[in-house]
Amino acid sequence: MDSSESAGSLAGYSRANVSPSIRIDGGPELSASATVRPVRKIRPPSFSVNTVVSGLVTLARHRDLLWTLTLFRFNVRYKQSMLGWIWAALQPLSLMAIYTLVFSRVAKVPSEGVPYPVFVYTALLPWIFFSNAILSAMRGLVSYPTLLTTMYFPREVIPLSYVAVALIDFGTAFAILGGMTAYYGISLSWNILYAVPIIAVLSAFTTAISLFLSAVQVRFRDVGLAAPLIFQIGMFATPIVYPLAAVPARFQRIYLLNPVASLINAFRELVLHGAPPDTAQLGASAVITLFCLILAYGYFKSVEATMADVI
Amino acid sequence: MFDLKLDHVSKRYFVDADEGSGQRWSWPVRQLFGKTRSEIWALRDVSFEIEEGESCGIVGHNGAGKSTILKLLSSITAPTSGEITIRGRLAAMIEIGSGFHPDLTGRENIYLNGSMLGMSRAEISRKVESIVEFAGVRKYVDVPIKRYSTGMSVRLGFSVAAHLEPDILLLDEVLAVGDVVFQAKCLDHMARLRDAGRTIVLISHDLAAVQRVCNRALLLQQGQVVMSGSPRTVIDHYQEMAFADQVAGIGESVAGRQTAECSSVVFVSADSQDTIRTGYPMIARLAYRASEHLEDVSFSISIYWPSGYLCVQLTTASSEPHLRVEPGSHVLEFRCPVLAIQPGLYRVDVSIESNGQYIDRRQRCSTLQVDPGKLVQGDFYMDHTWRMS
Repeated sequence: MDSSESAGSLAGYSRANVSPSIRIDGGPELSASATVRPVRKIRPPSFSVNTVVSGLVTLARHRDLLWTLTLFRFNVRYKQSMLGWIWAALQPLSLMAIYTLVFSRVAKVPSEGVPYPVFVYTALLPWIFFSNAILSAMRGLVSYPTLLTTMYFPREVIPLSYVAVALIDFGTAFAILGGMTAYYGISLSWNILYAVPIIAVLSAFTTAISLFLSAVQVRFRDVGLAAPLIFQIGMFATPIVYPLAAVPARFQRIYLLNPVASLINAFRELVLHGAPPDTAQLGASAVITLFCLILAYGYFKSVEATMADVI
Repeated sequence: MFDLKLDHVSKRYFVDADEGSGQRWSWPVRQLFGKTRSEIWALRDVSFEIEEGESCGIVGHNGAGKSTILKLLSSITAPTSGEITIRGRLAAMIEIGSGFHPDLTGRENIYLNGSMLGMSRAEISRKVESIVEFAGVRKYVDVPIKRYSTGMSVRLGFSVAAHLEPDILLLDEVLAVGDVVFQAKCLDHMARLRDAGRTIVLISHDLAAVQRVCNRALLLQQGQVVMSGSPRTVIDHYQEMAFADQVAGIGESVAGRQTAECSSVVFVSADSQDTIRTGYPMIARLAYRASEHLEDVSFSISIYWPSGYLCVQLTTASSEPHLRVEPGSHVLEFRCPVLAIQPGLYRVDVSIESNGQYIDRRQRCSTLQVDPGKLVQGDFYMDHTWRMS
């Protein structure tokens, strides 16, 4: 049946026929409809360059949502807790204390001539950022099933907001690091600005892993159950409680292909010795990270469309 | 120019054979052992267009694919094949307020919910006062949502969505929740959007709402569009289909001793008009057959809103003395000098009682279509005169 014809012939009828029982004053003003309207096409999901590009365009349009969500995530987390944001500093500090006791006092692990507490704390900061961001981001999507089945927004903002909150926590703990270096007489130079690219690459890598694992988690909850264990093991595959020098020289090249190991090592060298990062190593990490990020985002976007069906 | 277009869209869902039996965790394991999931096609090769400024209702039985269409249009899920084109800003009102975080205050939730719907922070800041005002929660705006009543949070959710100023509005049974005032707000808002030339898609069981708001309707059956046209024709067809499924002729008797039975019920206009209209006289004829002599009999025709609530009743029960019925076929005629009910489609039950017990009772055995006559707002038309002094 011709739709426009039936619409025309009935327009008068149904206009007159609308009679809401109660008239309510006020309500939103209706501005004139935009003349240029965005046109969107929804097709079956696929893993392609197009998916990544259109995903990024949508994400850019929802950037305010990411900001709002991060802000509120941060606020909500410490509501009805007495210590509030101090919790963000408490975790690395207490780990520092226990590792100092175990690895320095008991096991006598070398620490490159730096007091062990500050040595381990410096490396713990980026590691805790990395692991907390991923562990919380993974749980993010599955803890809002109703949201996923009743509303549309780019799903990646949920894991991304957890990564952003973890980054804010990192900032808090970093401020304490400033105090500690002063206490132990370690002078910081302008070289510390190299921390920006290091943390940027680490954040990107964290984002990649978060996106990938949270997308898998929607389908297979096994990932969420296995992750804490894997991260505990992973911490010992990263130069945190021991210096990089403890790794045999012939394995170091392979060892440093892991962006997390390479970046954490660079971060510690920078903070404790003021050494600028090795450009080749940082570059290699950046390339690996970029590759992972594109793959992870593409995967995320290709399964995003059916998350509501399987969650 | 179309605003929404579905081009050969199909949607398949997989259902785990033993989902719900607590073995879902082992799904990958069962995959390895070759156990397959059963598939359900919620939509099959559906194509239609909705023009700019149209208000289109989508009706159909449960499981016909209505919700799937809504989820596809609102991007909550993606089609298995085919292509959907959407021109303009689209707002979907599904389970209003589901995006609220209980620990956040009303104001914080406005920002959160608004930005999920795609508003920028600047836009929300501009509208936040109006949103609060419209929802009527000014006093509680800085109180966490978990302290809100259900009604308050639904109102707030609706208010946020209403301020989105969409080009296309999708609604799913919104009218089913909330109180009368809230429903009026919904209808009012829909009417305003429609009059402003926005496109509306209403997915509802409430046929009366579809007929009120929409100027076109689509009928879905088993994942396919089987009919498209004016709401009147589509709803008539849907009703016929529904009645064909549920009742034969005047319907199955659900109670009674069968000493008398209804054989038909018809409604006609009493002033030689073709249609029955609000504010004009109507005649209802109930034909029945009795097999024996009956004392103390009463006949009733009950007219229900689409929502299932009893609207009005035509009955002989209120008159004294009660009727006596002789064996044979008879026709009982009810005359209504002024039909007070508003335009719409009503469901009709009939019953015959004797000594306070049902002899015959037939539910949803017919429908009553009331057309616009004397138009006033409100739930009923009340006959009235006026004079100036």
